[in-house]
Amino acid sequence: MSASDVANEANDTNDADGGIDLETYADVWVFVEVHDGDVMAVSWELLEEGKKLTAKTGEDLVALVIGEDLDDVAREALERGADRVLVADDPVFEPYRADPYGAQFRAMVEERKPSIVLIGGTHTGRDFAGRVAVPTHAGLTADVTEIDVDDNGLLQARRPAFGGDILATILCKEHRPQMATVRPGVFEPGEPDLDGDWAVADKAVTAVDVVVDESETISEVLERNVGDTADITEADRIVAVGAGIEGNLEPAIDLAEAIGAELAASRAAVDEGWVDGSRQVGQTGKTVRPELYVALGISGAIQHVEGMNKSGTVIAINTDPNAPIFEHADYGIVGDFADVCPRLAETLRERDLTEVMP
Amino acid sequence: MTWTIVVGVKQVPDAKEVGIDPDTGRLDRANAPAVMNPPDRDALEAALSIKDVVDARVVAITMGPPMATPVLEEAVAMGCDDAVLITDRAFAGSDTWPTSLTLASAADTLGADVVVCGEETTDSSTGQVPPGIAAHNGWAQLTYVEDLEPRLDEERLVAVRDVEGGYERVAAELPVVVAVAYGEFDPRPAGLHRKLYAENDFEPIEWTAADLGIEDEVGLGVSPTSVGGMETVDPVDRRGEVVEDVDELANCLQEVIA
Repeated sequence: MSASDVANEANDTNDADGGIDLETYADVWVFVEVHDGDVMAVSWELLEEGKKLTAKTGEDLVALVIGEDLDDVAREALERGADRVLVADDPVFEPYRADPYGAQFRAMVEERKPSIVLIGGTHTGRDFAGRVAVPTHAGLTADVTEIDVDDNGLLQARRPAFGGDILATILCKEHRPQMATVRPGVFEPGEPDLDGDWAVADKAVTAVDVVVDESETISEVLERNVGDTADITEADRIVAVGAGIEGNLEPAIDLAEAIGAELAASRAAVDEGWVDGSRQVGQTGKTVRPELYVALGISGAIQHVEGMNKSGTVIAINTDPNAPIFEHADYGIVGDFADVCPRLAETLRERDLTEVMP
Repeated sequence: MTWTIVVGVKQVPDAKEVGIDPDTGRLDRANAPAVMNPPDRDALEAALSIKDVVDARVVAITMGPPMATPVLEEAVAMGCDDAVLITDRAFAGSDTWPTSLTLASAADTLGADVVVCGEETTDSSTGQVPPGIAAHNGWAQLTYVEDLEPRLDEERLVAVRDVEGGYERVAAELPVVVAVAYGEFDPRPAGLHRKLYAENDFEPIEWTAADLGIEDEVGLGVSPTSVGGMETVDPVDRRGEVVEDVDELANCLQEVIA
């Protein structure tokens, strides 16, 4: 069946005035993002959050997996609480490309009619979500940080607006599915239940028809170069750098090593190329929730603060006493990070904190 | 073959100038000056950099009120050959679905081979319009683009894309929609001659929704999403203590990690 046939079939559910019958749409879908066998952490965060939605709606929680050689991923989705798993397994999906992913996902949505679709707000998720939402005329809310559902199954997708000072609730009242890309790191993943009878539950895994053929694709991955992706959302301690470090990473790394912290950065430091984008904290980066967050040379723009607000204790080191970061920190010191960091690291090493570190 | 390159630009309130209204405590965007969405400057540079190596005509388009014309003049001053203002009251209330439909229709009408956009706009920051344009037209797309390499003989555009933990090089068939990563293209300055032309002699083409044949498919009525409410975000309560020396700061850290 071609993609256009699928579209025509879906149009049959439209009534005369162009509206759709909302009652024909059910279930909460969570997209499980896999690259070369590795699952992006946000997928499991969304699956856990999806459980809360289906607990209210009484619907099924469905994991959607697209890629190649996905048996292990499908099983893990069941272990982590999916009621059912839909698997589109084909070499055409590895490595990721927008057009085959979009066409496949769209075909699944049109055939099976989910009510809610949650996609991680990764580069991949934000890349293909529109290729599903546009042809299905679904509502798509980008970069969501809070989700809930009301008694009628209406998704309440909340996202920061106007630079982060306001949280807007976005609704999709007359279209389905209700789609959202959700910022990574905002929710906590659950623990897998390894004791379930997954051999029986394998019946809950459905291999779907692959509607994409390599000969129809309009893009080609010539080269892919990906190292280990840093996952700063899991870190207990973070040392983050901003524009104020002026490319001088050494003192930050020294301090991070002294306290067993992951390195992170503001958008400014990532844009300068000092730190990889996978380590960016903030509105366009990740939301982190460490017990300790040390901000070096970060001015404290609202877009950055939003990504670190879930931190336990925030410490700021900045030469500018008027930097807004001091208002968003528990403790701060006015000084040059290149001077403060080595002395701080040395002091902590002298106190031999290594013994209490995990 | 001459490539037609369409660049989407948008006028937004200057984020640096958005203040807090002292009476309501809400953000006051109305008094912020209107400027070109900063990531769109990167898009313009990316488009013009293609023209540096390929025979091309670069056309800037914007969807907005007539007072958005200055962003088109800026684009022409930077080196765009022409510009289109898509303006109509029918667009009021459009979310990303009709917005991307409108830009997709305009790009198609212009015969675009390449559409270049900024990563996102600073006022709504969804980043969904470039993939939406590609989806409406069934075209290829390249997002988070850091570098471009046009291949005239293959009729393909190759891009280096930022992906989590690394990068990839992807070749896309024309027509293709490109969203460039913010900060990756260094916008060229406008020449004085072009500036004078843009300000004094240039008039953009104006299109309405009817000109594009989409008057029944735009605006609030066809927008799948709506705003259900707005809440101000309460700042997290922090101690805000500033200490005098490193020893004291070490005590604070030790308190947390010990």
